[in-house]
Amino acid sequence: METTGQLLLTVLMGAFLLGVAAFLARVEDWRSYTPLGAGGGAVGESGYGHAEKPAGLIRWFTTVDHKDIGLLYGLYATIAFVVGGLMVMLMRAELTTPATDVLGSATFYNSLLTSHGITMLFLFGTPIIAAFANYLVPLIIGADDMAFPRINAIAFWLLPPAALLIWAGFFPIPEVIPAQTAWTMYTPLSAGVGNGNQMNVGVDLMLLGLHLSGVSATMGAINFIATIFTERAEEVTWANLDIFSWTILTQSGLILFAFPLLGSALVMLLLDRNFATTFFAVEGGGPILWQHLFWFFGHPEVYILVLPPMGIVSYVLPRFSGRKLFGFKFVVYSTLAIGVLSFGVWAHHMFATGIDPRLRASFMAVSLAIAIPSAVKTFNWITTMWNGKLRLTAPMLFCIGFVSNFIIGGVTGVFLASIPVDLVLHDTYYVVGHFHYIVMGAITFAGMAGIYYWFPLVTGRWYQRTLAKAHFWLWMIGTNVTFFAMVLLGYGGMPRRYATFLPQFATLHQIATLGAFMLLVGGVIWVYNIYVSWIEGPHVQSGDPWRLDETSLNTAEWDWFDAKRETSLAATDGGEEVKADGGEVVDGAPADDAADDE
Amino acid sequence: MDENPGLSEEYRRASPWPLFVALGLPIAELGILFGLVPLAVGGLLLFFGSIAGILRENSYVSSTWRGLAALSLVVVALGLAIWYWDGTTQSDLLVRAYSVLGTGVLMLLAGVGGELFAQDAEPTL
Repeated sequence: METTGQLLLTVLMGAFLLGVAAFLARVEDWRSYTPLGAGGGAVGESGYGHAEKPAGLIRWFTTVDHKDIGLLYGLYATIAFVVGGLMVMLMRAELTTPATDVLGSATFYNSLLTSHGITMLFLFGTPIIAAFANYLVPLIIGADDMAFPRINAIAFWLLPPAALLIWAGFFPIPEVIPAQTAWTMYTPLSAGVGNGNQMNVGVDLMLLGLHLSGVSATMGAINFIATIFTERAEEVTWANLDIFSWTILTQSGLILFAFPLLGSALVMLLLDRNFATTFFAVEGGGPILWQHLFWFFGHPEVYILVLPPMGIVSYVLPRFSGRKLFGFKFVVYSTLAIGVLSFGVWAHHMFATGIDPRLRASFMAVSLAIAIPSAVKTFNWITTMWNGKLRLTAPMLFCIGFVSNFIIGGVTGVFLASIPVDLVLHDTYYVVGHFHYIVMGAITFAGMAGIYYWFPLVTGRWYQRTLAKAHFWLWMIGTNVTFFAMVLLGYGGMPRRYATFLPQFATLHQIATLGAFMLLVGGVIWVYNIYVSWIEGPHVQSGDPWRLDETSLNTAEWDWFDAKRETSLAATDGGEEVKADGGEVVDGAPADDAADDE
Repeated sequence: MDENPGLSEEYRRASPWPLFVALGLPIAELGILFGLVPLAVGGLLLFFGSIAGILRENSYVSSTWRGLAALSLVVVALGLAIWYWDGTTQSDLLVRAYSVLGTGVLMLLAGVGGELFAQDAEPTL
């Protein structure tokens, strides 16, 4: 049996490598008649024209263009978001009744819980930010491409295997079950100690997948740092570097220090599980060591996820306020301050573990201090809008929704930073409500703001405005219904992570589920709108679709878009794209009014 | 997207190697972690072979074979490290050490052999 398996594996591996060799031979053959060079070949003279990329699917598998990779990241993150979202819909359906009537098994609920968290944080959150950063940062700072285009492609292609490994437990593979460790993977449970089933290989696969996603994020971060430092156009100085690139730079710095630590801790955990080391065993480093290592990564991870979305909001919100970002410098300083402070707060996740009270107090102080730069940003967004000429387009609505939800998520967080309050609310739904206000209400909202704002830039088309607004309102209401109900559940003492609960919590849980279904409907509308508009939305009619020039708020990426559009029109002799009825801007209304039918 | 020239579309932007670097790494990790020899060998070959390809594409090395031979030293070192660890723990790491060492030797042979006998396969600059 053992030999047969190994033989089969050998044959499969050999066939796979042969396939790779055949593919490479084909691609290399295609390559051999274009000038090679180290990325600098003068392709324009080769008679290859502008076709600097191969056609069809091969293009997407071999691309090193930052824009293509940005789109791949975006597609990947969308798929992960849908998967993670459907997982949580199953969980919310389960939580409509106190017993496990819907899923029938608390074990399955635990698996979904673990996978939902990891999927949303590592397979949706980080990649969707990388999508924006890849597509936009080089355009905004006037770089030809990322500093290391191939590393950029490697970083992306590590993610699909990572997702397959993380979800492996859900696939029908014999004797592999999903991890049920929650995304924090606390030892000793995750070390497979005891009589549970977490010694299963599914947990190892999940840890490996997570490790890969960390490698990917680190490679991406190195690339962004190098790009922003060395590839800026001459006119882009540190003094006028845009706010989005600042947040990406800070985020990449955080990744550089945080993710390798996660990687090392995961390897130690894998060694504990498979090779009888004792890093996290009681007789070795102890289970609390895992919590220290994990949260030394885990808390900066929170800011890795939130800083770039804050950058998107700081970038987009002024465009529809008719004013420059208020206090630009201080928004940058607060970004850097958050970046530094984020490494000094990790033990606030461990107030209830019985660590030294003097340590707890210092972590409480730093945690409270981080509210200051966060509030600086919030007040700057509000003052940017103050007396501005607001245009309530879909991206602007999502920005305002971001600020609103961020305030609730932030203020609930300040209370949690306080040790005595934390000791009461620790491990309750209050915590779940708090961080979902941030990850869903703020981070995802900013992502949506970015997607709607740059949709014309990427596709040259308009989305459907009414659907976008329906999406926003369903999500704004849905988010607050779902997660405020969770805050209240937490006040009531409902512990988190349980598939079952006491009947007294049923009403609030049902309200939360109602809100979650609003989020689902909004999400379906979003996917439909993006897909259909990409295929057949009305074409954008000018190089400045948001009419930013009127308020002198134009930015570099729209200049690029304008130039590309002009060239395209010239190349096609002003071809079919300039139909007069295609979508003229309606007087006095936001530019996205142009989304009437062709 | 389209193929129209913009700010940053003046040179060719495709490389076949990154995809296989990214596939080789997880396959090699799975193989080494679980002691599955075919996966360990195949994954390492794919991973380091593709890195050699990138080094050649960037002109960091003058031929893929030389790159492969140089990288084989890294693999051999890793194999020796696992072999050493086998002596320091109770776990049996010998199969893993041999598969990594074997891969390194394979790569070295391929690199030296390719350099000597397969010159024509390399597209000339």
